[in-house]
Amino acid sequence: MSKKATGVIVVVAIILLWEAVSLSGVVNNSLFPAPSQVAAAGWQLLLSGVVKDIAVSMSRLLVGLIVGTVIGIAIGLLTGRSKTAAGILSPIIQLLRPLPPVAIIPLIIVWFGIGNGAKVFSIAFAVFFPVWINTHIGSKMIPKIYIWTGRLLTKSWFKKATKVIFPASLPFIVVGVRSGIALAFIMVFVSELAGASIGLGYRISIAHLAYRIDEMIFALALLAILGALTDYLFSVAVRRIFPWLKFKTI
Amino acid sequence: MNPYISVENLSVKYGNDQVLHDVNFQTDKGEFIAIVGKSGSGKTSFLNALANLIPFSGTVKLPGAIGVIFQQYAVYPWLTVAENIEFGLNKVPASERKNIVEKHLQLSHMADKKDKYPAELSGGQVQRVALARCMANNPELLLMDEPYGALDSYTRDKMQEWLLEVWSAMRKTIIFVTHNIEEAIFLADRVLVLEEGKFVQDIKVPFARPRKAEIKFTPEFNELRKQISTFLN
Repeated sequence: MSKKATGVIVVVAIILLWEAVSLSGVVNNSLFPAPSQVAAAGWQLLLSGVVKDIAVSMSRLLVGLIVGTVIGIAIGLLTGRSKTAAGILSPIIQLLRPLPPVAIIPLIIVWFGIGNGAKVFSIAFAVFFPVWINTHIGSKMIPKIYIWTGRLLTKSWFKKATKVIFPASLPFIVVGVRSGIALAFIMVFVSELAGASIGLGYRISIAHLAYRIDEMIFALALLAILGALTDYLFSVAVRRIFPWLKFKTI
Repeated sequence: MNPYISVENLSVKYGNDQVLHDVNFQTDKGEFIAIVGKSGSGKTSFLNALANLIPFSGTVKLPGAIGVIFQQYAVYPWLTVAENIEFGLNKVPASERKNIVEKHLQLSHMADKKDKYPAELSGGQVQRVALARCMANNPELLLMDEPYGALDSYTRDKMQEWLLEVWSAMRKTIIFVTHNIEEAIFLADRVLVLEEGKFVQDIKVPFARPRKAEIKFTPEFNELRKQISTFLN
């Protein structure tokens, strides 16, 4: 049996077990609704426009992810390859890095309100650190012979940065971005919970206030599926754009 | 006549550890020089200093563009064979660049693998790409640091014959570092023995060119091998 088929069977078995336990009366059905009830609630949510919430949450997430990734890669390459840049920037980054990203949300709300800008900022802030640290380490660990070869074959710093340092650091960068994707999902959810008028996090907070456990579970399942899908699409895109990475373990 | 390459009082230090001590060296244009020595004798440091990749003291006079081939990480794994060969052709017009790449793909017998990545090639093929990339830049001097050290003996023999073919066609000056005495004698015009950071012997190889692998089994070859081996021990 293939791995995919095994995976599907396991998921179906869990759902069936959940359905059976929930309907058997062993647990409180209103606290632990059956998958069929969650699906029905989900259908109602879809009819009432949850797709728009998904679109808004995903657009916030993608913009934050891209901003955090681009800044993380740029500064990571800089601090990884330049001792001066590392001396200036690393202490402040290392000081901020242990901060739980969700802890900054109240401050962000005070500074920027509850608009899209605040949410994008908090997502980018969270994504920046894993991307930065992985890029920093990856670019520091480039075998010196790659750098020497680049120095011997070209004088262009731009070519050295884009054709040597960036690809040589790429396996680490990919790991950083994948960690960033998971953090971005946490941040979009938490920032929408903390204050929003649209988005999946907002939907979950409304469902919570209305004590609609079935809707909460549906929205959480949606978040989980979107997270897994984003990570999968990222991996596929990376392998398409950088086919040589399939020979590396990432 | 002035020597083509001249090195005077070259010294290299890593912290308190002096690996090269006032080394002097000269060579003529088109010569094939092999440097042999034990591990830690300073062979790689000598090449890296010539290529200006590490700090050194002393005077080094080189002819112009140089190419370096390393044993490990010889080519970029993120570039295809053709892209690796093209990498250093920065100032060449695009149309000419294509011709140069094509020519060196043919010379290195890699034309049918031009779109492959290094991870899809054998060790010998990777080293052929590395040499093709160097040659595409038309260097005056080629520095080779144990390029065949990681290859099996059959592939190594084939690579040596192929290198001599390429060298005969292009007549570049080559400085070839190896710990393999047989390889040094077979390839070079002169074999220099490096010991504890100093050249202790400079031996002229008397065999006529073109050379075939069979000469490795002649008594003269064996005698020379013994002689160099004695210096190393």
